[in-house]
Amino acid sequence: MGTLSSSRRLSTGILALVLVGAAVLTLLDLRLASSQTITLVAKRSENAIPLDDPSADVWDKGAPIQVPLSGQNVVAPKGGDQGTVTARALHHDGKLYIRLEWNDESEDASTGRQNDFTDAAAVQFPVEHGESVPAFCMGNPEAPVNIWQWKASWQTGTGASVLDVQDVYPNVDVDLYPFEDEAEFYPASASGNIVARADRTSAADNLLAGSFGTLRAAEDQMVNGMGSWDDGKWRVVFSRDLEVAGEYAQFSEGDSTNVAFAVWDGARAERDGIKSVSQFMTLEISPEIATGGGGGLSGEAVGLFVVVGLVVIVGLAAAGSYLLYTRRQTA
Amino acid sequence: MAKVHNWQLGREMEYRFPEVHPNRQFVAVFNTNRCIACQTCTFACKSTWTFSRGQEYMWWNNVETKPYGGYPHHWDIKLLQMLNDANPGGQTWDTSSQSDDAPYGEFKGMTIFEAAKKEGKDNAIGYIPTDEEWTSPNLYEDTAKGKPGVPGEYHPEGAQLPEHNTWFFYLQRICNHCTYPGCVSACPRSAIYKRPEDGIVLIDQERCRGYRKCVEQCPYKKSMYRPNQQVSEKCIGCYPRVEGTDPLTNGIPMEPRCVATCVGKIRLQGLVDIEDGHWAEAPTNPLYFLVRKEQVALPLYPQFGTEPNVYYIPPRWVPRQYLRQLFGPGVDAAIERYTNPSRELQAVLQLFRATQKIIFRYEIEEGEEILDTEINGRRVQLFNDTIIGFDGSGNEAARISVEEPFHIRNGDFAGQFQNSI
Repeated sequence: MGTLSSSRRLSTGILALVLVGAAVLTLLDLRLASSQTITLVAKRSENAIPLDDPSADVWDKGAPIQVPLSGQNVVAPKGGDQGTVTARALHHDGKLYIRLEWNDESEDASTGRQNDFTDAAAVQFPVEHGESVPAFCMGNPEAPVNIWQWKASWQTGTGASVLDVQDVYPNVDVDLYPFEDEAEFYPASASGNIVARADRTSAADNLLAGSFGTLRAAEDQMVNGMGSWDDGKWRVVFSRDLEVAGEYAQFSEGDSTNVAFAVWDGARAERDGIKSVSQFMTLEISPEIATGGGGGLSGEAVGLFVVVGLVVIVGLAAAGSYLLYTRRQTA
Repeated sequence: MAKVHNWQLGREMEYRFPEVHPNRQFVAVFNTNRCIACQTCTFACKSTWTFSRGQEYMWWNNVETKPYGGYPHHWDIKLLQMLNDANPGGQTWDTSSQSDDAPYGEFKGMTIFEAAKKEGKDNAIGYIPTDEEWTSPNLYEDTAKGKPGVPGEYHPEGAQLPEHNTWFFYLQRICNHCTYPGCVSACPRSAIYKRPEDGIVLIDQERCRGYRKCVEQCPYKKSMYRPNQQVSEKCIGCYPRVEGTDPLTNGIPMEPRCVATCVGKIRLQGLVDIEDGHWAEAPTNPLYFLVRKEQVALPLYPQFGTEPNVYYIPPRWVPRQYLRQLFGPGVDAAIERYTNPSRELQAVLQLFRATQKIIFRYEIEEGEEILDTEINGRRVQLFNDTIIGFDGSGNEAARISVEEPFHIRNGDFAGQFQNSI
């Protein structure tokens, strides 16, 4: 009994050590810009990057990073799931391009029915890049975030094709819509609500937030977004000028900032806080020419992972040896 | 979750936000006994607010035939089932603790908010109805409940009071502008708010992002998603009329369209003052009189816990067990008072549709006795009292007597105003 309980104590101790280490890393990850361990590198593309073809060959030159996602579980409504999004970034002719790629069994691009929810994705940056990083969930009041959100349904509804009942139910029969052209009978769009605007030219919105529940449309809409779904996979490209006027995230060659991602699965009725999210990572705008290499983990991150890995391996080995030793003793 | 007091449940309950009350509360009384389901209310609302693209399926006001009808289909049965699943057999009332502050006793079961806590859901239990459930808004119109277990047959003794064996009745429904709205507690963006001036609950059309949490968590299913705007909309209590900003009355508060157009004279709407979180005692406010003093009008599904502010005079021929599930344990007393009305109630019932201005106060001038007889072994007296209703400016808005004046057309007009055939 004594040997068993002491070996239990040892394994519990090792487990606690690892947990504390992980917690410290998580905390550091949230707080310090320098500790954002995964780096997405946007190198210069020599070729133009087509917005209307998220699968274009030019993306082969962008070094991919695999970004782990987890369900949002801080505030209601909670949800989302574990998953991975593959991110690549390039810049060309003064514009930043980010492509997200993730698996999704179904293309959900309509919100025409009551229970239809759209697939969506977002990239998020701190408005001001500095020593501290905003909370990865919607930022802080004193450290706001700039969010670019793409929705498949906005793509469906881009331009003149706002989703009407006739689009969903072609046999519907309505004799007359009185005052059809008068704006006040469409109060959301009349009040300037960005989700209801009929003159949408991009499927991605430029948004700002400073904590949960504060998401709002930015005054300037300058983000482009386009996605395509094929064979169980979404590929979505976001693009914007590297530098723009206004209180938004700014990018410049040779500089770094932070970026985080979120993905919504419409088939699972995901919307709002029901989403899969990543932590903040580092986004580096590199002057190098994109050739397909580079990116991935930073040197510091690799170092950290090696150290943590060694601690875990040594710990497990010690625990295993101790257990074997005690078993032999009792035998 | 905060603790708030719900007088309809006679106890405190859990709610997402701390207890806050408006200065005045929108209240309506619907007399189900008088409704003929002409749907004039429904179309008055439709032609005022929901005639545009994307609103095709929306009926902020609807009249459904109970027990089978529902818009969306079976909305209430589904909610009751969810509550029972969360608290099997526990949805009961303790009527021994009835008092002025807890007129229906104490609800011992779980509200939609309390059930959510038990089920591990956000804020309130609920569901989003499907497109199919929103279709055919008057399905089961006039479909009666017959003999239990015998489909397709009327009960041989169908129509005998106090409870008909073959029965249906009309249930008129708008947003309840609840004291503790399910929609307000649901919204992750706080885009839904309850106005301090009248307690009307509105969705901010600029802030809404169409997440449909309000559609999910309004137990009465009166938040509705508008696909071509990608946001939700709801009954706005005709707030420009209630404010008195409709040009028709020059600044005098007016009742909503669904109330003002009621052909059957079943509806009355008004505002009650709220003081320290309670209805301020106002015995001559007709709404206060009907709901709190005479207690002849009851909330719909009070057990949901939202403290709804539309009150119903229950149909007097319907089996009480069914009505108690809809309107709570106050049903028996309410029907008794409606069937044998007090002299004051007889007068107040005349105010229904006497004017479209909101009546804030009434006075009664006593008239002579016009009937003294016996019905079902009970003495029934009728007095031709006159009730005078006063509007928001304190001016007389309606004057009507219990006995309807009888006019005989003067023969001199023959041929002038008659129909041509």
